Amino acid sequence: MTTAAAPRLAVQGLTLSFGGIRALDGVDLELSPAEIRGVIGPNGAGKTTLLNVICGIHRPADGRITLDGESLVGLRFSQIAARGLGRTFQASQLFRNMTVLENVMTGLHGHLHTGALAAAFNLGRVRAEEAEAAARARELLGFVGMETMADRLGTELSFGQQRLVEVARALVSQPKVLLLDEPAVGLSVVRVAEVDALLRRIRDERGITILLVEHVIRLVMEISDRVTVLNYGRKIAEGRPAEVAENPEVIEAYLGRSLERHPDARRP
Amino acid sequence: MPSIGTRAQVMGVALLALALFPLVANPYLLYVVNLGVIYVVLAVGLNLLLGFGGQFAFANAALFGIGAYATGLLQVRLQWPYLLAVGAGAVFTTGVGLLVALPALRLSGLYLAMATLAFAQFTQWVLLNWETVTFGAGGFKIPPPRFDPLPLTSAQGIYYLSLFVAAVLVILAWNVVRSRVGRALVAIRDSELAAEALAIDLARYKTIAFVLSAFYAGMAGALYSATLNFVAPEGFDLFQMVVQFSMVVVGGLGSIWGSVLGAGLLLAMQEGLRAFKGAQEIAFGLLLMLCIIFLPEGLISFLKRHMRGWSEPLRRPDPRR
Repeated sequence: MTTAAAPRLAVQGLTLSFGGIRALDGVDLELSPAEIRGVIGPNGAGKTTLLNVICGIHRPADGRITLDGESLVGLRFSQIAARGLGRTFQASQLFRNMTVLENVMTGLHGHLHTGALAAAFNLGRVRAEEAEAAARARELLGFVGMETMADRLGTELSFGQQRLVEVARALVSQPKVLLLDEPAVGLSVVRVAEVDALLRRIRDERGITILLVEHVIRLVMEISDRVTVLNYGRKIAEGRPAEVAENPEVIEAYLGRSLERHPDARRP
Repeated sequence: MPSIGTRAQVMGVALLALALFPLVANPYLLYVVNLGVIYVVLAVGLNLLLGFGGQFAFANAALFGIGAYATGLLQVRLQWPYLLAVGAGAVFTTGVGLLVALPALRLSGLYLAMATLAFAQFTQWVLLNWETVTFGAGGFKIPPPRFDPLPLTSAQGIYYLSLFVAAVLVILAWNVVRSRVGRALVAIRDSELAAEALAIDLARYKTIAFVLSAFYAGMAGALYSATLNFVAPEGFDLFQMVVQFSMVVVGGLGSIWGSVLGAGLLLAMQEGLRAFKGAQEIAFGLLLMLCIIFLPEGLISFLKRHMRGWSEPLRRPDPRR
């Protein structure tokens, strides 16, 4: 590769089986700082499994994962999160009974220090920390355009708004890498365009690397610096979006073999 | 915040009324209200675990008993002075709570309920059968504590001690739930997955919830043993657990002030129905069911709706979910 910079997130030979099924089969990935990397592939290709292994929900059978050179394998999910790996989920995981502001403040958990005893006695430093956390959370809500909703309950938000709050919640701790699992699924065309713009701003203004798993192919092709294609747990292609889109193996994975190359097509 | 003002005024008036109450009350009423104050400690502690942390555990009645027994036994067997025994009883119970938390961390939902239920039954068994220490099924009497330099009867002294402890513990719990720690507990309750993604250590915060509720239960037990001057195993059985669940659910899951309300209401019901022994259990069960079906946010939801400024952080879970 021509990029001289050390990779922000590196994955080598990642392998994981569920029962007899190889969910991931020797996957390699290298993400540069402030890169948007799209991961696409047919259903069951192992995209979400890849995210789950990187963030520590599943432990890989084999392979290495490093964040800025530090190995993540064997650490728990919360420990990996504390090292600077943010994550959102396909299904909404908003804390439904917290306000929007409280949700985003919870994202700062790893950056705050208040323990149970200090909290119980509401010491001066606790109040100062809370005020600062609230200010940072409001700033992030502004960044995603949700500042007017700060005091609403999670249950009062629309689907798209919940998504934005979850992104703000994952961003507020300024992670090094953000893993996004289908942020555009179920959104209207207008909303997808907003997500598009937001992801670019996360990369450009905040310098955060994004690993984006997404079924809305148009979005992936538009904003990704590079795209990785998985099929049956293997990486079958990688490169700039335009290159990947023309790769015959990718086309075949999505559409099946073309008729003239199919053995049955030669029947008289 | 204007909301604090409203609430602080209500609580200040209530506290003042409770502080003056011994001047006008007869011994029976003083005892009942004292019991109510202790129930507040129990309910608030259980709410931290159940309402905020979302951990469905049945250990609280047993821990309440362990606090009462530890405090009583230290006085009767080892002749410790009362105040020292109270502190030691609460600390001992907290330690037991930590031991309960360790296996409980690996369990959730029904399995956690079953494991903690087993712990509760085991505690009953120990209280009943380890007669050389616990005096067995008959229980034992504890000499009324004395508050000598102060011009207080034993009952008045215990009442003021309970009131002081309850007021302090309610305020501490209120501070905890509106802090980073409270958010972590509620995050775990609402979505363990998202909580972990935000660097919240599940084991650590579940342990904190268990330990806090154990401390509250132990403290309540320590005060209870002196209020009654007598402890016996049946006071800490499954029915006691139903009473505590009812207080928390009827008052409002995930609401500190709801627990204060729920404790008061359940105590009034318990005393009102004292003449009809079987009716208590039916009434509590019925109330618990009606509340879950028709008033899932508990009584506190009326206050939140109709009293300006009575909002709380981190709202409440929906028990039907």
